[in-house]
Amino acid sequence: MTKTGKLKIQWGHLVLLAIIAGWILAYLLDARATSMRVSNLLLVQPVAILALILVLVLVPQCFVREQPNDNTLAANNQDTPPAKETPLELAKIGILTAAFVALAFLMERIGFDVSVFAFLVLGLYICGERNWIANLAFSAIFTVALIYGYGAIIPFPFPLAVL
Amino acid sequence: MTIKYNRRSLLKLTGGTLAAASVASPSILFAQDSYPSRPINVVVPFDTGGYNDRLARAFAPFLSQRLGQPLNIINRGGAGALLGHSYFLQQPDDGYTLLCTSAAPFLPLNVLTQNAPFAVTDFHMMNLPSRDYTMMATSTESGITSIEDVINQLKADPRSLTIGIQPASADLVNLMLLADTVGISRDELRLVTYDGGGPARNAVAGNVVDIALVGGQGFLPLADKIVPLLIFDDAPRDNWGSAIVTEVAPGADFVLGSQRGWGVHASLVEGSPEIYQTILSAVEETSKAPEVIEALSSAQLATDWFGPEVSNRSLLATAAVMEQHLSILQGS
Amino acid sequence: MIDLAELSDAFTILSSSWSAWIFVIPGLLLGLFFGSMPGISITMAMAIFLPMTLYMDFLPAIIFLTSIYTGAGFGGSVPAILMNIPGTSSAVATTFDGYPMSRQGRHNEALGIALASSVIGTLVSYILLMFLIEPVSGIVLKMGPLELFFVAIWGLMLLGSLAGESIARGLLAGTFGLLLGTVGMNSAGYIRGTMDIPWLLDGVPTIPAMMGLLAASQLLNLVNTKHLIEDEDLRRISMRKITGGFREAFQHKTIIGRGALIGVVIGSIPGVGSSISNLLSYSEARRNAPDGDTFGKGNPKGVIAAESANSSSEGGAMATMLALGIPGGGATAILLAAFAMHNVVGGPSFIANNKDVVYAIIMSNFAQALLLLGVGLGFVYIASYIVRVPMRYLIPSVLVVALFGSYAINGTASGPITLAVFSVIGWGMVRYNYPVAAAVVGLILGNLVEGNLLRTYQISGGELAYALERPGALLILALMVVSFGLSAFSKMRRKRKAGVQMGAS
Repeated sequence: MTKTGKLKIQWGHLVLLAIIAGWILAYLLDARATSMRVSNLLLVQPVAILALILVLVLVPQCFVREQPNDNTLAANNQDTPPAKETPLELAKIGILTAAFVALAFLMERIGFDVSVFAFLVLGLYICGERNWIANLAFSAIFTVALIYGYGAIIPFPFPLAVL
Repeated sequence: MTIKYNRRSLLKLTGGTLAAASVASPSILFAQDSYPSRPINVVVPFDTGGYNDRLARAFAPFLSQRLGQPLNIINRGGAGALLGHSYFLQQPDDGYTLLCTSAAPFLPLNVLTQNAPFAVTDFHMMNLPSRDYTMMATSTESGITSIEDVINQLKADPRSLTIGIQPASADLVNLMLLADTVGISRDELRLVTYDGGGPARNAVAGNVVDIALVGGQGFLPLADKIVPLLIFDDAPRDNWGSAIVTEVAPGADFVLGSQRGWGVHASLVEGSPEIYQTILSAVEETSKAPEVIEALSSAQLATDWFGPEVSNRSLLATAAVMEQHLSILQGS
Repeated sequence: MIDLAELSDAFTILSSSWSAWIFVIPGLLLGLFFGSMPGISITMAMAIFLPMTLYMDFLPAIIFLTSIYTGAGFGGSVPAILMNIPGTSSAVATTFDGYPMSRQGRHNEALGIALASSVIGTLVSYILLMFLIEPVSGIVLKMGPLELFFVAIWGLMLLGSLAGESIARGLLAGTFGLLLGTVGMNSAGYIRGTMDIPWLLDGVPTIPAMMGLLAASQLLNLVNTKHLIEDEDLRRISMRKITGGFREAFQHKTIIGRGALIGVVIGSIPGVGSSISNLLSYSEARRNAPDGDTFGKGNPKGVIAAESANSSSEGGAMATMLALGIPGGGATAILLAAFAMHNVVGGPSFIANNKDVVYAIIMSNFAQALLLLGVGLGFVYIASYIVRVPMRYLIPSVLVVALFGSYAINGTASGPITLAVFSVIGWGMVRYNYPVAAAVVGLILGNLVEGNLLRTYQISGGELAYALERPGALLILALMVVSFGLSAFSKMRRKRKAGVQMGAS
């Protein structure tokens, strides 16, 4: 348990904590700006303060001391990053996530049919389908099935471009 | 399929490039067909299961018979009907989108407290058959028997009773106006706030709060668990047998409760009077048809015919009183 | 308690109108299908078929709608188990162990267990309902804000056991969720944290946020795997294993009984219902199980606890609806509307004057539950073919289905946007060992905790003595303390026993 080994910073973990803490702080300030009455801050203020304290407790855990000589400890240590993807695998996750977020924000504007079809084609390709005929056929059929399937049972229309 | 394709793309063209300003274009495009030539949408700015949803779904089959086209119910709930009302106005004013909503208090509330991107007068209500009223009630176990008990207790000590109520509601406006008239200190009242009328009614029926002020019609199933104390209207309603506000506090201002029913774009009335007239007569005929009255009243839904003039006047009057007492709605 | 003469009248009603029965299986199938589509709520399914019932007689109409109710109640468990998608908040706890079981190749058992637990839960809840309908109606309205606050706190205790390895991370996830659950307009009318987005006035949309945190975050992480279940041999669909799940469910009578009781009681409270009962039941099962540590990693008991409670909530909600004439949630509001369409008004007088009809409804629900066993078996058998689909097809497809489902909730982009935002946050949380389930529990309970704490404060004026006026609340508090004390005590005893055995060997 000596303090040797390189200090490794989990940048992703720091970013996650920064996002959570940033939102909580903004929320607390917004709530306080709305009203300082008890009936507004009764739960939000104490819980937000507790959460911010927890963030402070957790920040040091983003700095992990690597212990190359002690494998058993590293294996048991929950602070080691759980995922061991290669950069390529991480990039795949990144592209798919970005496409998913883009789809969510744009599908109503572009039309569900076109945007969903495009996402499926891209998604299937990223996830490893290299047969273009299978890819395009599946994406087309699935898009049509979803639009008419869901469309038949929900009480409002989907915005569409082509269908 | 091809016909559908063309129609959709035309709609996109008018909706997208010409924008909402060119209001009359869709009706010009379909001028060769007589209205209605395709299914009509009914926007309900609440989720499935609520009063407006049930009203729309019960009324739609009969209205559809008279219009000769199917009606699709579109639920757009959320944010106190603000989302649904905005969505409705964004649809072309070609008579193919109708609205079924609680015009009061939600339209004035959207405008006064939620910075809505519209005015109450952007909507034209053809008929508001359901006119709810605020009712003050107490539990049968509370020991309170009359409105005089309540007023006397609150005059002696405004904190002596807990009052179940919804924030930013017509009921709250009515409570405060009553308090002003009979001389009870507004600021000291012990309000217990509920997210909906149902929870507030359940709370008073279970004697969890001493009194509650909520829409009166919703109390009907709980009638034998509560004592009705006061009705905020100028005439007795639903055989409750309680006092009415014009007797107890003469001169007190009050607002009606929910006024629910059927509306269209105000711009339709000006822009396409023939289409408006077609819809209006269909709604009037349907509302007055005996089989409709029977079907709806058995489902405890209103179908009385008041007509556009009375309905809009009543809505605007409610909006005016609410605006006058805006500070109550906004809270502090 | 049970009026035998009325009971036999009920049999007469049911046997004289055989036509009513033909609606059960279509109703169940529709319910299963709608319920298993993410984002389609039970309420929506029932609302769509409500106008159809206008043309039926009273009893067939009610039987048809309650069949949809029963079917949809179980339907939500299928995507929860196979894809970690809780289509409704009542299936959240099902995902905790159901999905890990699927990934280990025990999807057949998990589905069988869920089906059997649901059916038994429904049966038990209607039996309880038959006895309890009158006492329940007396208590339900008495539930004040302090009582509900304690119920919510009981639910929050689950955070402790969801925390996993790091208490601090679990608590941060839980408090983060709790705060998210309070966004929007609170009960007193204050508007916070909406960032001027109109739809956030109603709060963060719960179902899309849950789907994002639990399901989408997982799927994004699976991009580099070939199949949901790594081992090809385990990917089989086996009727034998599904029915084996039935047997397994029957072995845990205590968990089912407790789940059904929690479901009926919590389900009968208007506005609380099945979204809380499945969490409470899961939490209790976990604390009281000797192998509590393996919950969340594919322990069948977790599925049993969750499913028995969420299905039995239907019985509780029906009790409130029949006895008081008030809806506890959307589904019972639709049923009341159907009652009204046939000139039947629910409430105390209805029960007093129409006991035979009430019994008939209850008994038809027995029959529905039993038929669900058969219909559901076929349904899960077909649905479980999902595990055979290669991941390269499954991931994009399920992501899109989740998006459609989140859009289907109210037809605006609010659902898809929430889903996308929370899938990114959830992915980050999973990556750094923050329990997303704790955030989901906080999110579900946030509003309930705040609203009832607020009303308690408003009624009591901040005086603690108010608690003494509420014996019901003190009883709930006492129950909670006893329950926690007992499970701590038995855990200690088990440990000591284990210690002694170790010493002896």
